[in-house]
Amino acid sequence: MRRTVSRVAIVFALLKKELVAYARDTVYLALTLVVLIAAPLLFRAMPDRVDEELVLAICPPVERLLEGSTEALRALGASEADIARIRQADLTNQKGLLLVEFDDAAKMRAAIEGSLEVWRASDGTLVFVDTTAGEKRPRGAERVDVQVGVAFPERFLADLVAGARGIEVTVYTHASAPPELRQAVTSFVREAAFEIAGDELPVRFPDEKDVVLGTDRLGDQVSLREKMRPMLLFVVLMMETFSMASLVSTEVLERTVTAVLVTPAKVSDFIAAKTIFGTLVSFTQALIVLALIGGLTASSWSVVLAVLAIGAVMFTGIALIVGAAGKDFIGQLFYAMLFTVPLLIPAFAVLFPGSVAPWVRVLPTFPIIDVLVKATVYGGGWREAAGSLVYALAWLAVLFGAGVVALRRKVASL
Amino acid sequence: MSPRLTATILKKDFASGTRSPVFLWALVLPLAITLVLQVAFGSLFQPKPRLGIVDHGSSQVVRAVQAADGIRVRVFEDPEALREAVEANDVDAGLVLPRGFDEAVKAGARPTLTFWMSGESYAANRIVLAVTTIDLLRTLQGARPPVEVRVESVGEAGLPISVRLVPLIVFYALVMAGLFVPSSSLVEEKEQGTLKALLVTPARTTDVLVAKWTLGVVLASAMSVVTLVLNRALGSNWPEVLVVVAVAAMLTSALGIVVGALASDSQMLFGIVKGSGIFLFAPVAFYLFPDWPQWIARLFPLYWIIDPIWRVAVLGGHLSEVASEIGVALGITVALGALARSLSKRMQLQIATR
Repeated sequence: MRRTVSRVAIVFALLKKELVAYARDTVYLALTLVVLIAAPLLFRAMPDRVDEELVLAICPPVERLLEGSTEALRALGASEADIARIRQADLTNQKGLLLVEFDDAAKMRAAIEGSLEVWRASDGTLVFVDTTAGEKRPRGAERVDVQVGVAFPERFLADLVAGARGIEVTVYTHASAPPELRQAVTSFVREAAFEIAGDELPVRFPDEKDVVLGTDRLGDQVSLREKMRPMLLFVVLMMETFSMASLVSTEVLERTVTAVLVTPAKVSDFIAAKTIFGTLVSFTQALIVLALIGGLTASSWSVVLAVLAIGAVMFTGIALIVGAAGKDFIGQLFYAMLFTVPLLIPAFAVLFPGSVAPWVRVLPTFPIIDVLVKATVYGGGWREAAGSLVYALAWLAVLFGAGVVALRRKVASL
Repeated sequence: MSPRLTATILKKDFASGTRSPVFLWALVLPLAITLVLQVAFGSLFQPKPRLGIVDHGSSQVVRAVQAADGIRVRVFEDPEALREAVEANDVDAGLVLPRGFDEAVKAGARPTLTFWMSGESYAANRIVLAVTTIDLLRTLQGARPPVEVRVESVGEAGLPISVRLVPLIVFYALVMAGLFVPSSSLVEEKEQGTLKALLVTPARTTDVLVAKWTLGVVLASAMSVVTLVLNRALGSNWPEVLVVVAVAAMLTSALGIVVGALASDSQMLFGIVKGSGIFLFAPVAFYLFPDWPQWIARLFPLYWIIDPIWRVAVLGGHLSEVASEIGVALGITVALGALARSLSKRMQLQIATR
């Protein structure tokens, strides 16, 4: 007697079988758990702010340099306007510059050497800790890495305004300080001297508003932690390629797929079940990680979910190709690595400043990571992501189509 | 144990191994990791200020800034392309030097400078590029600074990140070639039944294990040396480096044999390697983060091979300085060898019942 079974029921039955097989695969189950635990931990371990300040030590303190020179400057005939000009060049208030002031050069030298530690408390005050004298580090403070300092003579300002030349200034740098920092501080001292001496710049500088191009992120840079968010979501989607490919290759190698096809199930049902299962597993994992690391906003949540779904189907398509190609476990692992390593490049590329190289933009995973970056880092919505989403869908069609064809041909050859 | 049979098996492994994906990975991975970590991550951890320049008048400023240490200079053909690059943060700052610029500065005409900063550039880079540019323009003008700047270097130069990454790269060379190649070769033979066939011949499990171990030692030594050469860490003390590398290869390969003897199939092998990965990798992390308490690293077995490589190959030390570490590494190797020998009996039983 012949009983009609609907396609949906067949696919559903195959899905149940997939779930059981997945749960039995301890290696990949353990890997899934590792990824789900490691991804949020790695995210939290990343620095959540960008240290973009230039730390400059000076001695004596600015106030003492000014106090010690004001009377001398007046006596030397400097006008009140001259004195005001010097006072206005207050270095302690320069944006992006952290000035650490020392009473004497020996102390400053010790701080650069590392024997005297400089800590910044949460209220911004600087604390000096002499570890060699057994002093304790302040709680809740962060270490300030002082690599370069300038020792000015006490009468630096007065002598300069008086027209003295050849005044000696010592720049102390730590041996590991980058050369550009050493050069910049030397240039900085020379330029400060030129300005105080009243020598105007050899060029006219444009207005500050015309100098900065693009959104000015000074003090509001995207941290490494924020940059890691799209990358982690992407890696979670990608990791499923390995387990999904393993599920496919096991069926092919052990020929259980031929047993499945003896039943009313067709190859299309088999592929549909694999696709639905693979997509659901990777999409769910990405959602779990997303919930743990955050990143959804009112304007971006729908775009993020859409691109994660596209990514999940894309990687399932790749898993179908890999699963059909692998001749054994190691071979399948090799193919999975061969596919996933190049596809990982766009995710790394976003960690670097600047625009992505043209050849990276061609890779199928670029639009996925691009949308994730736009949505989770910059809060972009559908308008910003539309172009990349269309591009991602085109690649999805190609990769998923290739996966279906590869698996169909493999099954037919068994 | 028969040296002749061991040599025959080893020859076969070398011949057939080159077709194995794992073998290929062992050869390619250290090169790929060197490229990724040194080229990509080196610049990520230690970014240099990037200056884009358009020069229409063969300005001296371009030559001077190109000669300056630590600033990456990129020359653009036209101001529009430079402007786009600054806006996209492909460079931190952009400088346009029109025709006759140098002459105008020298003549004291104070031309208006076209200087752009990327909104995404870091404050420190903005300051470095701005003051360096101004200083170069002062030099161009011929102005003599009113101060004499004396630079004094203090403290000891720390190791750059590119050097601190060397143990990590050597670790991967050792693990892939020393651990993964012999273990996967052994497991593959179990799965394909060739090991069972081999044991029907006069060859014993000991001959097979020693052959696989030798395969790992040769490959791991070769790949470690290649990695050290690629990372410019093989100096004049190379004979001593070869000794520490050989000891490291012996230990990792012995570990590979134990894992291969334990794992009944590829999935189990993969699971063991993945599961123990953190444990194996742990000592390497201490070289990347020198502020961590270094004694903890000693608790992990691979510390005893990574540390001699670090001190002899990277820091240029001598064997006498790492004699105790080498002694411990050889002790661990012998212990692993004894474990592999006892596991070989279990493995033989496993094969017989397959």
